[in-house]
Amino acid sequence: MNHRPTYTALPRLYIRSRALPLTVATLTCIALVAAWAAHWLQDQPYFDHTARVPVIVLAPLLASATIGTSLHAHSDELDRTAVRRWWPRRLLHLLVLTVLTAGALASAVPGHPEAFGAPGMVRNVLGATGVATASAALIGARLSWLPMTVYGGAVYLAAPHNPGGAAAVWAWPMQPGPQSAAWAVALTAYVIGATLLAVRGARPESA
Amino acid sequence: MSSTTAMSTVTVRKLTVRHRRTAVLDAVDLDFAPGVHGLLGPNGAGKTSLIRVLATVAAPSGGQVELFGSEVGAKSGHRSRAAVRRRLGYLPQEFGYYPGFTVREFVAYVAWLKEMDAAAVPAAVELAVARVGLADRIDARVKTLSGGMVRRVGIAQAIVNDPDLLLLDEPTAGLDPEQRVEFRALIRELGSTSTVIVSTHLVEDVAAACTDVTLIEAGRIAYRGTTQELTALGGEDTGADGPDGNPIERGYTAALRAHRAAVARR
Repeated sequence: MNHRPTYTALPRLYIRSRALPLTVATLTCIALVAAWAAHWLQDQPYFDHTARVPVIVLAPLLASATIGTSLHAHSDELDRTAVRRWWPRRLLHLLVLTVLTAGALASAVPGHPEAFGAPGMVRNVLGATGVATASAALIGARLSWLPMTVYGGAVYLAAPHNPGGAAAVWAWPMQPGPQSAAWAVALTAYVIGATLLAVRGARPESA
Repeated sequence: MSSTTAMSTVTVRKLTVRHRRTAVLDAVDLDFAPGVHGLLGPNGAGKTSLIRVLATVAAPSGGQVELFGSEVGAKSGHRSRAAVRRRLGYLPQEFGYYPGFTVREFVAYVAWLKEMDAAAVPAAVELAVARVGLADRIDARVKTLSGGMVRRVGIAQAIVNDPDLLLLDEPTAGLDPEQRVEFRALIRELGSTSTVIVSTHLVEDVAAACTDVTLIEAGRIAYRGTTQELTALGGEDTGADGPDGNPIERGYTAALRAHRAAVARR
């Protein structure tokens, strides 16, 4: 018997089983709205490129919610009987969505990398996706958007006006691009989230 | 207990499954050879836990589980589980289905999980769906089907790879009487070549389709024997059940009560 997996028709079924077309469409919409909002905000009188902070914070938040909920497996019990290991597939699923999102959102905020531009956007995509992915592994994909939304919302309201210091750690989504402490937190969150997802998968939920 | 270890597809030794601190299965020893085996017992006795361990979807807390001669228990590697999973069919008690999938796509997805040869998949899917009597609904979306039809889709996905070990957890739930009769005929046919283990709380399914019975109560084996032996147990002990019980139901009750009395004496 030929044990070679079927690369032609069946990854299509995997892609549909996780509703990936819908997820990609949603992410595209988020990127388009983010680009429009960023453009509109800095065109307002007395506003400049630093007015893009809400876009830098909120667009990755929405994108991470989309990615987190897309990790739901509707038939986890049957998926567990798969011959092949799941962790490479899960990791690939997450990496593809992260790269697409980070690329699209980074191009939505052109210029000013030293302030609230593409680097800050990529960092926030990584951090928020990491938290959402870890949540999917620990509490289930359906509610995976909740922790990052609560945290992101709180940080948005509470972050001090001046960047750096301790706030670079706890208020990492509100920092300008080059803050290395904020990058460290976001990357750690992403690595933890991706590892938890790869090893455990999204927590099983009743259908 | 039977000692058919040499030709057994399933050999379980001192299998223990715990959920938190409660032992759901307590040092269970079992063997299953080709044929149709009924797994009976009250709700919560540990039937589903046993099926899930045999399906390799849940890891046991202790003991050995050997399928087709390969260890798949807690300490097993992925490689031995992978080889076993190609030969396994599993109908869970509840399986979600992917939104928007048709019957054909759902069964093909499971064939893909089992890494069947791509060229063989379309024909295998059609055959499996035809065997459960859903050939005319093969391109219908799963969510538009009735509960009994979804159950039959579940049976179709379990048999798509022509498994050597077929594990069915409450397969007749939601089937109407005619479908149950057809289903029993199907598993008798499958049992002529492979090992079929049917977990159920319906004794009449066991009477009609199974060659032997394993009775589980509170995580222990309460009774093992052929279906005729269990029926005979009911015939001898007519006072043990209500007026409506048929012989196998009386046999079930008698075996269960004898086990409980034996446990209480310990």
